[in-house]
Order: sequence, then structure tokens, then C-alpha cells
Amino acid sequence: MSQEKSVNPLGIFKRESKGFSLPPVNVAIERGRLRFFSQVLGETDPIHTDLAAAREAGHPDIVAPPSFFMAVEALANEERERDGARPIFDIIGCDYGRLLHGDEHYTYHGSIYAGDELSYTTTIIDFQDKKGGLLEFALLNATLTHAERGVLVSVKRSLVHNLAGRESA
Amino acid sequence: MSDNSTADIKANDVLPSITFAPITRATLALYAGASGDHNLVHIDSDYAKKVGAPDVFAQGMLSFGYLAQVVTRWRGLKNLRSFGARFVSITHVHDVVHAAGVVSEVFEQDGERRARIALTATVQDGRTTLTGEAVVAL
Repeated sequence: MSQEKSVNPLGIFKRESKGFSLPPVNVAIERGRLRFFSQVLGETDPIHTDLAAAREAGHPDIVAPPSFFMAVEALANEERERDGARPIFDIIGCDYGRLLHGDEHYTYHGSIYAGDELSYTTTIIDFQDKKGGLLEFALLNATLTHAERGVLVSVKRSLVHNLAGRESA
Repeated sequence: MSDNSTADIKANDVLPSITFAPITRATLALYAGASGDHNLVHIDSDYAKKVGAPDVFAQGMLSFGYLAQVVTRWRGLKNLRSFGARFVSITHVHDVVHAAGVVSEVFEQDGERRARIALTATVQDGRTTLTGEAVVAL
């Protein structure tokens, strides 16, 4: 039993997973998926949907919009699942009935292109309690790395459990 | 590359805002497929009601993707250095998302002139759904 666990008796996250890093997962970025994602978001810049326009603008292929990381992460999770590995959300101990999105912060070092093979990694950084223990936060870092172009995106994010009502449960 | 049109950008400048089309159930289904977020609470109203929500509601990352466009339509993806947002309240089906940004400061970093942008997503009744921040090269 970790020390943090005793700080918040209402907590659900598995505090002992703090510091855990998932082994890197390789994800292939498909052009069709990237275009579909861009269209659903209503992206107006044709570099996200039109190969000729992307090449005209100096890109090797169509370019991912800023929030595409989450689609890559979902693909990485599916890949892990196929390999029989535990999903990150299980390792952290997410309760979907209480789970909220806290925040997401992305730093961009380079563009993601259709056709890229990227390596996804994520690390469970810390757990925090707020509002007298009624909210608990899981802080995660993640990166997407290309073998030649290096780290393309680094991500800091938090997941939140709303624990209200649990004290009487 | 020098860009004279950005030379007079300063704090409190307002970026062109964007009002997106009302979020339909079809939007939520398509975003689920495109993003890989298959959480049923966004796409199956029977499931949403079973877990206590009045109806399906939007994926947070859909509004996150909308909000980023205030900055990318203004300065282009190539100038975006960072972008992030906090999820403040739920975006419901049929909500109309309005995404807006204002320059909070202009500064020098890593040898380039940059602007920090304070971003907000609100819906038709004025409720804030996301607050965000971006840094762009000028």
C-alpha cells in the first residue's frame, strides 16, 4: 500500500502505478484516417486533406492537425490490446463512471505526416488530490517520436475522478 | 522568414473567432470513428441514459480540436509551438461551439518572436466549456 493512497481514502486510482512507463508502441499513420479526422474537425487548410496541396506547401504528405495525437494514442492502445497487454487506463485504475478529462497540453517539435511510423510512449507521473479529496488527478506524460525526425509531440495531461458521493457509498 | 504583417501584433489583440456548426449525433459518431475514442457515452443515447446522463454528450477532444483552429487558421500550423486546454464543462449534443482567442503577451523565446494566446470555447448560452493557451511564432 503506497503512502499516497492513505492520503485520500476515497481515491480509486492505483497510486502504486506512479512512475510506471509503458513500453514503446509503434503506430503507422494512415492517410485515410488522418484525412477523415481532419474533415470531421472541419479543418479548412487543405494541407490536412489534399495531398497535392500538402506537397505544394512543401510537405511530404498530408499533415496531422494539432489534436491528432489522441487518435495516435487510441491506435497505440488498440495495438497493445492486440498484443494482450493491459490498457493504460486499467493500469491507472480508471473508473469510467467517474472519469473526467482534466487538461491536455501539447508541445510541438515537428509535424506528423501520413505514412509516418511513430513510437508512442507514456509515463504515469503522479497522483494529486484536490477539493479535500473529492477530486483525484492522474498526471501523465507522453511522446510521439519518429526514428529520424526525433520527438514530434510531447504531451502533458491529467485524468480526473469525481469522487463526490463516494464517502457515503 | 520575415513576416511584416505580424510586426504590430501586441497584447490584447483579438483573433478572428470561429462559430462551428451545431454538434449533431452524426458529428459525435464520426468523431468517435475518426479519433478512436469509442466511449459509448458519446454515441449511444441508451447507454448514456443508463449511466445517468440525460443524453449523449460531446467528446472533450472534439472541442479541443475546434479550439486549436482559432490559432491555426490565424497563423498556420507551422507556427504553432504549443497548445493546451482545460476541460471546464460538458458540451452537449446540439450545442454550438464558439471558439475565441486573444493575445495575452508577445515575447522572445528560442530566438524567435512569439505570442501567447488565451483561448476560450463557449456554447450558445454563454457557458465556458474549455479554456486554453497556445504559443505561436510571429
